[in-house]
Amino acid sequence: MATIAKEINNKVGSVSELSPPTLRQAVEKRDHLTQSNGHYYGVKELSLKASDPIKYERFYSKIHSSVLGARESARFVAASPGSREMGECLWGITTAEGDTLAVSTGFLSHTAIFPVAVRYMAANDYDVNDGIEDGDVYGVSDGLTGGVPHPGDFYSFVPICIEGEVVAWAVGINHLMENGAPVAGSWATFSVDTFMDGLVVPPMRTGRKLKQETWWKAMWERRTRAGTMNILDDKMRLAGCAMIHEATHKLIDEFGLDYYKQAIREIVEESRRRVVDNMKSTMVPGTYNGAAFRMAQYKGLQTIWSHADKNTLIHIRASVEPNENGLMVDTEGTSRWGNHAYNATPGATDAALFLGMINSFSHNTKVTAGIELAVQRNYPKGSILNPDNEYTSNANPWAQTVTLNNIGFGAVSRAMFCFGYLEEAFCIDGNWGAWQGQGTAKDGTAYGFTNFEWLGGSARGAWCFKDGEPLAWAAWSQMATIGDAEEFESTVPPMFYLGRKLLPGYFGSGKYRGGPGESAVHWCVEPGKHIGITRPNGGLSSTASVALGMNGAYPGPSSFMISARGTNLDEVNKKGLAPRDARELLEMTDSGELKVDDLQVWKMDCPELSMKNNDLFVDAAGSSGGWGDPLDRDPNAVIEDLNSGVCPDYDFVKEMHGVIAKQTSDGTWTLDQASTDAKRVDLRKKRLSESSNLKDWWAEERDIVQNAAFFPEVGLMYNESLSFDKFRKEFTSFWDLPLEFNVLEG
Amino acid sequence: MEDDISISKGIIEQLVEGTIDDDNVDRLLKLPKKDSDRFFTYIEVLQDRVSWDDPILLRLSDKLYIVSKGHGKRVTQCECGFEFGDYRTNWKLASKIRTRKTAEEMKAVYDPAPAVPEAGWQEVREYFCPDCGTQHAVEVVPPGYPVIFEMLPDLDKFYADYLGRPLADASEDWYKDKTAETTATWNQ
Repeated sequence: MATIAKEINNKVGSVSELSPPTLRQAVEKRDHLTQSNGHYYGVKELSLKASDPIKYERFYSKIHSSVLGARESARFVAASPGSREMGECLWGITTAEGDTLAVSTGFLSHTAIFPVAVRYMAANDYDVNDGIEDGDVYGVSDGLTGGVPHPGDFYSFVPICIEGEVVAWAVGINHLMENGAPVAGSWATFSVDTFMDGLVVPPMRTGRKLKQETWWKAMWERRTRAGTMNILDDKMRLAGCAMIHEATHKLIDEFGLDYYKQAIREIVEESRRRVVDNMKSTMVPGTYNGAAFRMAQYKGLQTIWSHADKNTLIHIRASVEPNENGLMVDTEGTSRWGNHAYNATPGATDAALFLGMINSFSHNTKVTAGIELAVQRNYPKGSILNPDNEYTSNANPWAQTVTLNNIGFGAVSRAMFCFGYLEEAFCIDGNWGAWQGQGTAKDGTAYGFTNFEWLGGSARGAWCFKDGEPLAWAAWSQMATIGDAEEFESTVPPMFYLGRKLLPGYFGSGKYRGGPGESAVHWCVEPGKHIGITRPNGGLSSTASVALGMNGAYPGPSSFMISARGTNLDEVNKKGLAPRDARELLEMTDSGELKVDDLQVWKMDCPELSMKNNDLFVDAAGSSGGWGDPLDRDPNAVIEDLNSGVCPDYDFVKEMHGVIAKQTSDGTWTLDQASTDAKRVDLRKKRLSESSNLKDWWAEERDIVQNAAFFPEVGLMYNESLSFDKFRKEFTSFWDLPLEFNVLEG
Repeated sequence: MEDDISISKGIIEQLVEGTIDDDNVDRLLKLPKKDSDRFFTYIEVLQDRVSWDDPILLRLSDKLYIVSKGHGKRVTQCECGFEFGDYRTNWKLASKIRTRKTAEEMKAVYDPAPAVPEAGWQEVREYFCPDCGTQHAVEVVPPGYPVIFEMLPDLDKFYADYLGRPLADASEDWYKDKTAETTATWNQ
């Protein structure tokens, strides 16, 4: 059983002179000491570690084991499939000020955003009115005041108090199955402001003494479409927090409060130093630039919110500059916020940016807030990453912030390549997809759902020395897994898998190719009264997942969907046939084998798709980019891909890689080396004959820019980014235009 | 204390060649701390592979290097020997470019068809060495997007502060983006 400190001592924030500091004072002290000399909490000497390293490490191992144990127990106490089966949860412990001391496995970059909610509570005197008590339970799902990367992620915070002072917070997080927005699921794809994001709560107390209050259960039941699942998850988060709460009280009993307070500061400072050292010893200093784009297509979707009736080409721009104190990430030039679902907040942006930072630089140290001190960030006010409007929708920022991680993580990868640490260098992609929605069964039972499969695992991009692997990683979690199909079938009663497999040819080509992405065919069977589906993708295939390929390779293609409504699937099934992925579906419709009344390919977000019996929803996601010049690919590797089916189209690879092959009567491809050599010479000549000198190209393109001969979405994108000085300077100086130049809106 | 370790030149050659086995990659990935002498062994491996003698200062890309030409010249150079000019100017300005603007043109590099970027919102730019035709870089960006300077290294800081071997021609001027100076002359 968890221990509750005696009530007489546990209330924080009273006004006696002997009282411990308020949370606000604690945060101010922490900031003052840290800023005074650049060391966390002003700690220059790791004296506890130096004087008794065994005791110090034993102390930390107890903290760390408490959060690891919380995860491994709590998700089996009660949980939805996303949390139990996959990596969609995390537990952590922080200092009183919200600085992370340890996190469990799971989606670990949330460590960077724990301080947001705690600092909000401190700044608004939660501990003064009406007090914070040991074992209270706070819920948070607001991007602005809690830093969450989307309101589908829900946080539980439990304060750990000793003698009236908050000394730590236990934190549990998971991604909900449904969060009650007008667009059902857990990332509302159409949302014009925060009031359409679903159940969004700033930090608020929902329970006491490690027990949720009854009204809170009613909130899940009445304000979301998956009340049962969400209540299970709520219990799961709290169960883990209770374990951490108990373990921390025991820890302080054993080591003493003074040791605890000094040790936690040393732990964060120790890891900060290691992270900075890791950065300096693996990254070539300089300026690394990157960009990414993502379309939000809202034009014509509805006639109610006229101010949201436009398309937005979101531009993510960033530079990474390693420096003495770690590295700087500057996002100036990134689009402004808009009336769409894709705005982030600084906390939400951190949640994505730190994916690569933690993976790259915290691998050999304690995962703490130390890394946050080593990564300086500029998210300009007014941008999509830091809106100057407090009511923006933050329903699905993960769709674009992940590309910021791709740029930052990609810079790290490039820096390590330059330094010679090639084993760390690979093409970074975060090409996720999921699907979600709501339905009403035949008996009137209403339900909401999210299928996380293509969020759970995606392909890894090509390494600089070998091909990328399928399904092997999820940038946001160490627990890459797409989960069990049966689990998802059980949570979405009318939708069954006809196929679930790697999608041939679906990757960025290069000397080394990216790992192939995945595709599934979801079959609607007896949907009852209704089922509607949307898909909250990361990048969508109207744009590539990132702007830059790695060293001559192509960046990974993004996600897409296909809806096939009104099919003759019964007839097709009777022949023992069924499409198993997107390519097979299109081939079967092209050949006429599968007849479809309404076939639509979605390279942008789809509106809600109402599905009937024998309708199909087909998706593809999780592809990744290549590395190096495709003409340098080992011809035998191309032949292997043809024979394994990874590359299904000989004509495509012949021109991409310059490989000539012959097919034997049994279908096996064999290499024609001499013809391949000649083909490669021809293709290199063709490259030169079909290309222009940059100077000539520049002159032609400059005319296009001057005349704003763009699609309207492109013109609007430039207008927004040019409102930031850094991008304006780069854009106008590159095209040799007056600094005050503006792109017309097309 | 963690002892500094050293990785053999042979292993680094295998990494560069792409012939390294997974077990050795795993060992390298699990090093508690990277081998601090890697850079100069890496440069040695690279220098052995190129046909010219200009000292390599940094490998920018698979076949693209910053080399010292002596007399205070540092240039970006292709493996074939083609010089792209002063490394402070984006080397892409001295390359040849092929742009794929239509869906049909982009279908040659993306597969299957629904994965092809949307023409008008995106175009595929391929940057080639004007001499050997190596594809050094690919951008997928909207029309009108400035050519991206992927990386400008601070070489003097790197050699002096990170490696402890300052370059003979060190100067504050070396860490300066000079790309716009070139494009400013193109309109005259």
